[in-house]
Parts: sequence; structure tokens; C-alpha cells
Amino acid sequence: MIIIEGLKVIFKGFKLEINELEIDTGSYQIIMGPSGVGKTVLLYTLTGLIKPESGKIYLNNIDITDYPPEKRGFTIVPEDYGLFPHMNVYDNISYGLKIKGYDDEYIKNKINELAQILEINGVLDRMPNTLSAGEKQRVAIARALAIDPYVILLDEPLKSLDPRLHLKSINFLKNLHKKLGFTALHVTHNIIEAIELGDSIAYIENGRLVGKFSIEDFIESKYGKAYLDSLSPIIKVYKNIRI
Amino acid sequence: MKRGIEKFFILTYGLSSFTILFIISPIIAIYLMMDPKVFTYALFKNIELASEAWSSLTLTFEASIISTTVLLIIGIPLAYSLARLNFRGKSLIESIVDIPLLTPHIVAGIMILAAFGRRGLLNILTFGGVEDTFIGIVIVMIFVSTPLMIDTIKTGIYLIDEKLEHIARSLGADRLRVFKDIILPLSKDSILAGYILAWARAVSEVGALLIVAYYPKTVNIVIYEWFTTYGLKYAVALSIVLLSIFILLFMAIRIVYKRMITIGI
Repeated sequence: MIIIEGLKVIFKGFKLEINELEIDTGSYQIIMGPSGVGKTVLLYTLTGLIKPESGKIYLNNIDITDYPPEKRGFTIVPEDYGLFPHMNVYDNISYGLKIKGYDDEYIKNKINELAQILEINGVLDRMPNTLSAGEKQRVAIARALAIDPYVILLDEPLKSLDPRLHLKSINFLKNLHKKLGFTALHVTHNIIEAIELGDSIAYIENGRLVGKFSIEDFIESKYGKAYLDSLSPIIKVYKNIRI
Repeated sequence: MKRGIEKFFILTYGLSSFTILFIISPIIAIYLMMDPKVFTYALFKNIELASEAWSSLTLTFEASIISTTVLLIIGIPLAYSLARLNFRGKSLIESIVDIPLLTPHIVAGIMILAAFGRRGLLNILTFGGVEDTFIGIVIVMIFVSTPLMIDTIKTGIYLIDEKLEHIARSLGADRLRVFKDIILPLSKDSILAGYILAWARAVSEVGALLIVAYYPKTVNIVIYEWFTTYGLKYAVALSIVLLSIFILLFMAIRIVYKRMITIGI
């Protein structure tokens, strides 16, 4: 379990305050909020790339606030996937495993297993610039999952996908989470992503965590309603079906 | 609209052709000016002149390769710091790095004497001074080519998406590993460009060397001396050797680089 207590972060003009947030192990936590409220700052603070002014971050009751990023086991999947352009897909995915000192046989088996699940067997020897957006996304997720992280941090990972691929990717992530049971923090603006994927939604506004809601409570809240009101009537029908 | 575009291209091509002509005409002119008899006499037949010419060329290349390599080793950490780290006085350091670029070469020579000469503040670092020594030549070359090396590599590192470093760290890489696995491979083009530019600048230095280390004579000093002692034709002969080495080397680098890109190195 991750516990964030009294966190205050100031970074490049952003201010973020989180009084308390608990994220259960194995849960899929959605982070929502308007642009520029510090959602990405929260992810980078959790990875240790941004140092908070004050507050504590606990992972399974261990205070990791001052741990360097490489000791935390929090991996990131950014919006543009951030694949290492000079490494092929296999080397991208194996990067973290090599650092951790696993032998070649283990790495090969682990990558084959992940490639099977993520359906990227056919692209392992390709360079990132030859991949489609969907393939890049899967490779980035495979790389993040390869080291069996405590938490995978997804920063608007479906934002740049076309609508068809977007819905397909939501389903894909949903099934993947069900299958592997990893803990995920997923930043998004998209209410469908939040409803479909999340176990709960943490909502940030004006640099403060407003609260953590169940999906149903969020939809009924003024924040959820604001999102839903901005969607087309067809999506509203979708919401009724879902609930 | 089409007429406008045509005018634009005519203007662009016209001005570009003029620029190319401006650069290429002195190159063609120096080859046309070459006197084959003087060339053969100065560089092969007259043992004294030939030996002076070839040993100065060897010395210049030795000193320039050593100075550029030393600069590469000490320059990459500074280029990285300026590209990636935020600290107080960063702008000041960036300005300091560019000083050799803006300093007249003679003044640069006097500055080096003041710092590393026999009576200089830091002469202990040069084992007793830079005057007329190989170390003096190397120090001059490092000084004048520092901005080209640092600025080129700094720009290359700055343009690498910082997110890649963040991802590598989240995957378990410490700063050194990120530097080795991400920064160095992704900035190899700018490192190569910085090395070539700094090396070319080191080879072409003469002003500061006239002040600091006239002896042992580097090739530019010999060219200058032949020009003042024997006349233009002798200076042209040695200049052509240096120029031809430069042209062949840069052509070779471009061909190798293109092949490297094609085969994906």
C-alpha cells in the first residue's frame, strides 16, 4: 500500500498539496483534474524525480520520501511512451532487467512472457521509430512491467491514440490489469478511461487533492457531472448502461 | 502565387550560389596559384625546407589530437552540467566558456602566458611554463577550441528528451548509468561534431601560438614564416598540403558518417 501524508510540492510554478491519499496494492487508481493542477508533478514526486517541500510517502509502511528514483520501484509510462530511440524493442524492455543484474536466460524468458501477453512478439527486433502508436504503447507498458515494479505510473498513456485505438487500448489495459494484478496510478482527463479502468478516482483541483472517490460517487459528484456534461449525449447513454 | 514562389526560389538559389562561389573561389584560387616547381622544391627536394614542413605538420596534428582529446574528456562533464543542471552562476559559467571565442587570438596568447607562463600564476601545472614547449602548444589549442567543443556537446545533450533519463532512473539506473546508457549514445553526433570543430579550430590556431610557443614550430607558423621570408609561392605550397588534408579528411568523415547512419550505428 502507498500512503501519501501531508505532501507539499512546489515545482516550476506548480503547487501541489495532498493531505492524505492511500492507494491499495493491486488497485487501479485514477488521478483526474483540470490541466495544470499538478497531476504529472504528483507522479514525478512519487518516482522521486521531484523532491517535496514537506510530507511523507510510505510504501508498505516504509518511508520512501528520500529514496532516489532507482531505489523505489515506481516505473513510468509517459504520454509519448518515451521509448529509448537508440535501442530496439527487446533492449528497451530488457533495460531495467539488465540493470537489476538478471541473467540473459531469465531476461529472455521474461520478455517472451510479456511479449506474449502484450502481443508484441513480432516487433522485438524493431526500432521504436518503426512502430505504430499502439505498438509503442504496449512496448512502453512491457518495459515498465518487466522489472515487476511496486507501482506503474501512467501519465495520460492513451491521450495520443485515435478513438478506435483508444477504446481498444482501454480494454487492453483493463484485461492486462486483471491478468497481472499490478498497482497502477493512471493520470487522465478522459472520463471513459477513468470509469472503465479505475477502482477509484483521486481528484485534484487548484493544486489540492479534493478527495478520493469511488467511481459511482465521482460520477454523482459535481466534478464528475462537469466531465459528463461536457460529453456528447451518446456517452451519457453509455454511462447509464455502465452503472 | 506561383509567380511569388518562383521569385522566392530564384532569390534563394541566387544568393546561395553567390555564397558558395564566395567560399569556393579562394579554394580554387590557391590551387591555381600553386607553382609545381616551388611545391616540389620546398616540400621534397630541399631537405631543410621539407623537413621543417613535414615535422611542423606532424607536430600540429599530434598537438591538436592530444588537445582535442583532453578537451573531450574534461569537456563532456561541463557540457552535461550546463545542459542539464540548474545552479547559481550557470549563466556566468556559460559566458566564461565563450570567452576564448570572443578574445582576439594575440590577447588569448598573452592571457595564457599570464596564467601558465614561467612567471604565471599557475605555472606549476605546466611543469615550469608554456613558453616554446609542446605543452604550451597543447594548452593554447585547448583554450581556443573550448567553446566550440562545449557549446556543441551542450546543445546536443540539451536536445535529448529529459523524460528518457527519468524513465531510465525509474527502471533502476543511477545517474552514472543513465549518463552512460542514455546521454552518451544519444549525444554521439554532437560529440563527434564538437570533436571535429574543436580539432579544426586547434589546427588553425596561429595568433596565440606566435605569443606563447613560436617554437617548436607548428604548420601555421611555418606557413607564416615562409610567406614573410620566401614569398607567397612557398606559403601556397605548404598551405595546399594542409588544405588538402582538411578537405580529404572532412570528405572522409562525411562519407563514413553517412554510412553509419545508413547501417544504423
